[in-house]
Amino acid sequence: MENISVKDNLSEIITVNMGPQHPSTHGVLRLVVDLDGETIVDVRPDIGFLHRGVEKLAENRTYHQFIPLTDRLDYLSPLSNNLGYCLAVEKFFGVKIPERAEYLRVIFAELSRAASHLVWIATHALDIGAMTVFLYAFRERELILDMFEIATGQRMTSSWIRIGGIREDVPPLFMEKLAEFVSIFDERIDTYERLLTKNRIWLMRTKGIGYLSKEDALSYGVSGPIMRGSGVDFDLRRDESYGIYDRFEFDVPVRQEGDIYARYQVRIEEMRQSNRILKQALEQIPEGPVMTDDPRVSMPSHQEVYERMEALIRRFYLISKGFKTPKGETYACVEAPKGELGYYIVSNGEEKPYRLKIRAPSFVNLGAVNKMAKGAMVADLVGIIGSVDIVLGEIDR
Amino acid sequence: MGFESLLKELSAKYEGKINGYSQYGCNFINVPAEIGKDVLRSLSSEFGFKYLADIVAIHWPKKKEKFELSYNLLNVDARLRVFVKIALVEPEYETVTDIWKSADFLEREQYDLVGVTFKGHPDLRRILMPDFFEGHPLRKDYGLKDRKWFNSADEQNLGIKFTK
Repeated sequence: MENISVKDNLSEIITVNMGPQHPSTHGVLRLVVDLDGETIVDVRPDIGFLHRGVEKLAENRTYHQFIPLTDRLDYLSPLSNNLGYCLAVEKFFGVKIPERAEYLRVIFAELSRAASHLVWIATHALDIGAMTVFLYAFRERELILDMFEIATGQRMTSSWIRIGGIREDVPPLFMEKLAEFVSIFDERIDTYERLLTKNRIWLMRTKGIGYLSKEDALSYGVSGPIMRGSGVDFDLRRDESYGIYDRFEFDVPVRQEGDIYARYQVRIEEMRQSNRILKQALEQIPEGPVMTDDPRVSMPSHQEVYERMEALIRRFYLISKGFKTPKGETYACVEAPKGELGYYIVSNGEEKPYRLKIRAPSFVNLGAVNKMAKGAMVADLVGIIGSVDIVLGEIDR
Repeated sequence: MGFESLLKELSAKYEGKINGYSQYGCNFINVPAEIGKDVLRSLSSEFGFKYLADIVAIHWPKKKEKFELSYNLLNVDARLRVFVKIALVEPEYETVTDIWKSADFLEREQYDLVGVTFKGHPDLRRILMPDFFEGHPLRKDYGLKDRKWFNSADEQNLGIKFTK
């Protein structure tokens, strides 16, 4: 014992396991952290505890049968996942989606974004030590989940968007609730900001921590609010517009600081912009059908099935065997709450995808954690992980 | 910069070894494996594709070139997305971690699930499957129900006998 000096003891690098079940990791994530005292030298994320082989399952299912599995990826915004997948399959056919369905898709995608960001702000603040925001944010998320329940019958895994449209039109009650929600949401966001934006503890715990420069943000391939928090002005809704996003007016928030606080500001502003889009959609939404009548992908109605033999055969065929896509490869991506969510589908002309690759935003974002955390204190790692807004279901697939 | 002008410049530079096409709203560039890494590097340094979104490895057991890599590249300023496709005979290719850092996780994932080895990768380990997992589940010769939770050698010493 005498031979070891105090100095040597302190400069020794100690490896600490954070997780697999750490309260701040919101799922099964293990971080192997090398520490020099309290300073982080290296972080190696260990994932895969929830791996369910979703891509392999996709290769053994018809295109329709895969929709419920997309819900289970990012279970905090299931409808964005549905949308990304359906857009990818629709690219093969170039089907025209009815107007009302396009608007409903935008409404559902933006509500998902708000719901996902609300969970993020709630748990992130809770990790850092603020309890009240958690209760407030979950109160508003509850309103959104109620709306999902009215429309889809499910609160979380809704499997609602179909290839060629939406499964069913929303009841009038949904529109009432939505109008109510958009009228109060801006005010509620102000409440969170009053609690956090100028809060001294919050500023000390977030400003200048978890820094990621613009070049690193691009090189590490991070997307979504983290990318925009590092000064990259890019949003798939505006820059690779899908659906009818080009009809809406909204701003893309960008911050140059690249720290946890910048990501917080970006997400808060995104919620406001989502509300802005929702208000416009609510005004513009037309009446009409919500499912395309393109015979290649859409199911004939029950009425038709009773009246025409061909419709019965088509319905039977679509359910039992699915539909065939033309040969080739395509990719569609949406701006999910966490970033760029993409589906790369290789088809060899059969009813099942030959290969389906999901570009999960959280997975790639997690790769940048090491860069963000190097040199920070171990207590800040909790904040850094929170600012990445990871969902392990999506990372592990 | 549009896709046509990019293709023109690339094929002038690589003397017509490159062919590109647009399909279902996406831009693809076929590149032979020998110059693949060069093309990727020049796309990053000269053409502004600073963002590697994804790497997809595809297994084609019946073709001569059994593996195919598809690099999903994005030029953020020009808002142009291209897919660079490289066909491989052997499941082995050079790493691009020295060009884009995001390739670290993405290559590990493709190595784990499809079994393409990336030469020069700093830390090529399995990422989603456990270390002792046998085989690569996204290969076409790996059946849906062929999964083994524990390998036959029982390295964990759990006393599990695997029967198939």
